[in-house]
Amino acid sequence: MKVLAAGVVPLLLVLHWRHGAGSPLPITPVNATCAIRHPCHNNLMNQIRSQLAQLNGSANALFILYYTAQGEPFPNNLDKLCGPNVTDFPPFHANGTEKARLVELYRIVVYLGTALGNITRDQKILNPSALSLHSKLNTTADILRGLLSNVLCRLCSKYHVAHVDVTYGPDTSGKDVFQKKKLGCQLLGKYKQIIGMLAQAF
Amino acid sequence: METRPKVWLKDFLPEDFRRGSHRFGLWIGTTSAPVRYTAQPSSVTRLPSGPAGWPGRPWPGQQQRCAGRRASAAEFSVSAFPSQASTTSPSHRRPPARKVRVARSRLPQDPVRLPRGTEGRRIPVGPRSAKSAKQDGKLQKTSPLCPPPRFSRNSRPSALAPQLIHSPGPGRLGTSAPPSTPAPAPAPAPHTPRRTRPGSRSPSPAAKAELMALFEVFQTTFFLTLLSLRTYQSEVLAERVPLTPVSLKVSTNSARQSLHLQWTVQNLPYHQELKMVFQIQISRIETSNVIWVGNYSTTVKWNQVLHWSWESELPLECATHFVRIKSVVDDARFPEPNFWSNWSSWEEVSVQDSLGQDILFVFPKDKLVEEGANVTICYISRNIQNNVSCYWEGKQIYGEQLDPHVSVFHLSSVPFIRKTGADMYCEVSQGNVSTSIKGIVLFVSKVLEEPKDFSCETRDFKTLHCTWDPGVDTALGWSKQPSQSYTLFESFSGEKKLCTHQNWCNWQITQDSQETYNFTLIAENYLRKRSVNILFNLTHQVYPMNPFSVNFENVNATNAIMTWKVYSVKNNFTYLCQIEVYCEGKMKQQYNVSIKMNGEYFLSDLEPFTEYMARVRCAGASHFWKWSQWSGQNFTTLEAAPSEAPDVWRNVNSEPGSHIVTLFWKPLSKLHANGKILFYNVVVENLDKPSKSELHSVPAPAKSTKLTLDRHSYEIWVTANNSVGASPASIIVISADPENQEVEEERIADTEGRFSLSWKPQPGDVVGYVVDWCDHPQYTLCDLQWKNVGPNATSTVISTDAFRPGVRYNFRIYGLSTKRIACLLEKKTGYSQELAPSDNPHMLVDKLTSHSFTLSWKYYSTESQPGFIQGYHVYLKSKARQCHPRFERAVLTDGSECCKYKIDNPEEKALIVDNLKPKSVYEIFVTPFTSAGEGPNATFTKVTTPDEHSSMLIYILLPMSFCVLLIMIGCYLKSQWIKETCYPDIPDPYKSSILSLIKFKEKPHLTIMNVSDCIPDAIEVVSKPEGTKIQFRKSLTETELTKPNYLYLLPTEKNHSGPVPFICFENLTYNQATSDSGSCGHVPVPMKPPPSQLGLMISPENVKKALGKNYMNSLGEISAGGTNLNYVSQLASPMSGDKDSLPTNPVEPSNCSEYKRQMAVPLCLASPPLTENSSLSSITLLNPGEHYR
Repeated sequence: MKVLAAGVVPLLLVLHWRHGAGSPLPITPVNATCAIRHPCHNNLMNQIRSQLAQLNGSANALFILYYTAQGEPFPNNLDKLCGPNVTDFPPFHANGTEKARLVELYRIVVYLGTALGNITRDQKILNPSALSLHSKLNTTADILRGLLSNVLCRLCSKYHVAHVDVTYGPDTSGKDVFQKKKLGCQLLGKYKQIIGMLAQAF
Repeated sequence: METRPKVWLKDFLPEDFRRGSHRFGLWIGTTSAPVRYTAQPSSVTRLPSGPAGWPGRPWPGQQQRCAGRRASAAEFSVSAFPSQASTTSPSHRRPPARKVRVARSRLPQDPVRLPRGTEGRRIPVGPRSAKSAKQDGKLQKTSPLCPPPRFSRNSRPSALAPQLIHSPGPGRLGTSAPPSTPAPAPAPAPHTPRRTRPGSRSPSPAAKAELMALFEVFQTTFFLTLLSLRTYQSEVLAERVPLTPVSLKVSTNSARQSLHLQWTVQNLPYHQELKMVFQIQISRIETSNVIWVGNYSTTVKWNQVLHWSWESELPLECATHFVRIKSVVDDARFPEPNFWSNWSSWEEVSVQDSLGQDILFVFPKDKLVEEGANVTICYISRNIQNNVSCYWEGKQIYGEQLDPHVSVFHLSSVPFIRKTGADMYCEVSQGNVSTSIKGIVLFVSKVLEEPKDFSCETRDFKTLHCTWDPGVDTALGWSKQPSQSYTLFESFSGEKKLCTHQNWCNWQITQDSQETYNFTLIAENYLRKRSVNILFNLTHQVYPMNPFSVNFENVNATNAIMTWKVYSVKNNFTYLCQIEVYCEGKMKQQYNVSIKMNGEYFLSDLEPFTEYMARVRCAGASHFWKWSQWSGQNFTTLEAAPSEAPDVWRNVNSEPGSHIVTLFWKPLSKLHANGKILFYNVVVENLDKPSKSELHSVPAPAKSTKLTLDRHSYEIWVTANNSVGASPASIIVISADPENQEVEEERIADTEGRFSLSWKPQPGDVVGYVVDWCDHPQYTLCDLQWKNVGPNATSTVISTDAFRPGVRYNFRIYGLSTKRIACLLEKKTGYSQELAPSDNPHMLVDKLTSHSFTLSWKYYSTESQPGFIQGYHVYLKSKARQCHPRFERAVLTDGSECCKYKIDNPEEKALIVDNLKPKSVYEIFVTPFTSAGEGPNATFTKVTTPDEHSSMLIYILLPMSFCVLLIMIGCYLKSQWIKETCYPDIPDPYKSSILSLIKFKEKPHLTIMNVSDCIPDAIEVVSKPEGTKIQFRKSLTETELTKPNYLYLLPTEKNHSGPVPFICFENLTYNQATSDSGSCGHVPVPMKPPPSQLGLMISPENVKKALGKNYMNSLGEISAGGTNLNYVSQLASPMSGDKDSLPTNPVEPSNCSEYKRQMAVPLCLASPPLTENSSLSSITLLNPGEHYR
């Protein structure tokens, strides 16, 4: 048993060890090269701030447009149905280093991007005539994509972070309509909340 | 429609709900149909259940009583009468009547087509009409009141089972609860349709149970007897064994809330088909809680798996369901009584177990219903301790508890809210904290409407174009339901076409032989199907193509031939064409004509030289369906000769030896001109010399011409000519006699812009009368108008838009003799509307005296006024309060008072105003007045009466003035004399006596004022100190006073070697007083006797001394005494005889007169000391400004 304990277990551990396992932030090693197809802009942080400000400026309007389009009971029960209590939303710590904040921002943007994609898809089916909502969702998704690219550039160019483990927004495809509507409302409420925080943090 | 759903379960007592779960279960499936059931609880029949049933379940009698109670208390939204609860909601029922030619057929209204052979029974059940049972086709062995169950299209039993059935009747089949059923024992199935009414009597439960038991015994005995008899008589029967349904499997479809049953039949002979009836029982929560019983009739083959579905109104997740089945043979080949098989075992269906671990569930998810449907919603709460609140469209609703975990809500007549669905959600809260929220979206569709105005037509016999009004769009969001689809089905050909548009569809005509079509338009969505039907003959539904090639042939002045073509669509097809002829936008003619392919029509009664528009449209002649569109063309008829003579009139001005005749004519109307008038021919024929006539051709569009005729009678012919010919002539005769101008003019009153003229009939034969006037009499070209009046008329009314208010119109009335000679009968004048005078007369004041004056305005013209002047108003203002005699007091528009005098005669244009006060001011104003009022306001003219004595004063002043004038003339003539007398010349000093005295006493060369020889004047020399003039002025007061200096240009002792004779002359002209006093010298001197003074001044030194002394003294005296001026003139020493002794002074000598420039030296002022080269002029010294500073 001692031999087992002394040899096999470490051997198993070594065999199962791989880079990044157990690390909440698997970051590309410093010497790894970031494969970015285009050179990053000089004032990336300014662009990121600008995009965050732009998103922050339109988040509330998007939220209102969304819950208005859903009809009752959403507009009058925002606290119940649209509260920003999304459980698996990526965390953000405003007092972290810039690198940590950028990594967290990256996760959030990825999460929001997928969530907005789902919401856009659902709303195009549920509310085919709500063109302004569709337009607003598409615009927000476009800005989020740009922001994601800039954050990745910044992470890669300055901090040599080429890979970040991310979580995606919830998949609503198997849910019933009410759940889709409610989840979308919650996500947009959360988006409105977090985007303000992000805009201030950067 | 109220959006808040009715939750009628709240009206139940808890025990009622449990006991009445039968009733609850009875509604299963009804909500999916577009039905609004009305509550008929009184007729509810329940399955009898015994004590072994669900605890608390009432006996039949109890149930009926409960039902009756509920009927009076509860608000039901469902009906127990399936037959009455038709598949169409009342609001959407259509009357059976159809319009002519459109036969609508009502397709099954249920979302799913029901297969025949299934009958369901809901408990309680209500009556059903025999008719509906008869319509059920294979429905048999059941009560005629039972509704047909609904089957799916694949002949499987339908998932929908809204109809309720009664227990089967006493036939061979249909006993829902035979004695052999394992159902609770004391629940004999009724053998007759049971209709229970609230007021009907029911036997007591005990008696009823006894009766039922007795009946069961009798029935069993009867069946056993029959069975033994049958066994005895039939071999087949002896061989048969019970056909029992086996392998019953139940699956669920949560989305459709349906149970799907499949089973097989055991012991079925090989390759043998049998008609069988299956009875199915469905229970909820417990097996004893049977909520539905129904029969399903079908033909069964050997080894066949049978399918059947049943739809629940309650989501299947909300409760456990149980199903069992039994069968009986119902085949004509076996007329003998058959017996039900045994019930299969209960199959339990429970979906709750697969829901998951959430604490709350709400069902049904995303359900699609139709507007007005009833919906049952339930929630399942895992924890019974939780407080669950549910909200429908934001408003809290309350349900009934089905079991400790499940509550149900019944929404009645759900309205259409939005296309994206209506939301209901429930939240679990612990305390005030919401822990979970779950909800559903209910998609409520609008009710599909029947297509309206469905019709088909063809234009070319190749395509049928069908149109309709689709009504509301029933599309829903989330792709839950697309817009309704439309399908065309033609029954004769059996062809079908799915239409791609919502309101029209084209159908290709493929068979030429088919003339009759029976179209059914089917509108369909997920919930409902509607259809309308039309049956028509193709030739009756022809909407022709528009006619083409519309042309006009042989067009002349009054007729034309119109031709057109139509498309040939079918042989021997006749068209009915309609032709309309328009002129100037108005329809003049309309014709109908039948044609085959080429149309032609002769248009007559047309007007020459007129533009017409003719158009044509066609329709099927054999059967009118629809006109085609119009096809039209314009054309113009040719010209013709004018059809009427021009209306001619004349104006004759007689001059010595001739008549100036102006002929006027009116242009012919288009109707009579028949073309374009090119010129007018005027033929003048001398009646006295008939052979002599003249032709004058006046080109159009002239409307008059002037002729100068001599003093003979002339006949004038006037014709209008166009390119085709001339009109009839208009004849007028000018008499040789001058026109009678002696006719007196009469005034006529205006009547609303029209003039009513009347005249005395002319003796003798007249062919008519003519009234002429000028439309614009104020202009030179007055635009003469005339009106022809018949010979019998003695009055007419002249009315024209040209009449203007305030213009005087003069009318002349002529009578036309048979010889066409016009004779002036009367003259009239008047205004279409009189106005007040536009100006006031210019007033002259004459003969002004202290007591009167005369006013006159004789140049005021009364003829050129905008109304007949009726008189004048004279206004007089004075300080006196009282008006003069003949004046009356009046108040002016400005509120001031004055006196007014009225003159009624318009020709009286003067007024003597008397009784005035002398030397008083009067203001006077004269204004004319007409029937419309008086003239404009203007300023008053002031007249002041003179004083009484002023004339006398004039009498005195004039002679006096004359005298003065004479005196002045006399003075002028005698001026020399007066001058000599009054102001003689100044005496010559040389001629003075004092000169002789000097000559006598002094040296002979010392003379006084040799006038002829004058040395350059240096009348005075004023010393000026060096520096500026200002300095000098400053020191004036000091230096002058302290050091008076006087420059003597004449030789003095100091600057001349010898004494120079010098005299002092005092100009008596300037200082008469001084002269009189005898003083001499250029300084003011005190009043002293002249002789002594003269003596002193002979010597220059003396003079100097005297000057220095006296001047100072004089200054002191003058300063205290006054400002007297002493004018001093200096005169040079005489040149004669003493010329050489003159000093060489820088002052240049100049020729001058006796007197040199003089200066006035203020007595208080002394000259400042001057230097030798000072040249200050005297002006400087006399500058008062400088001095008086």
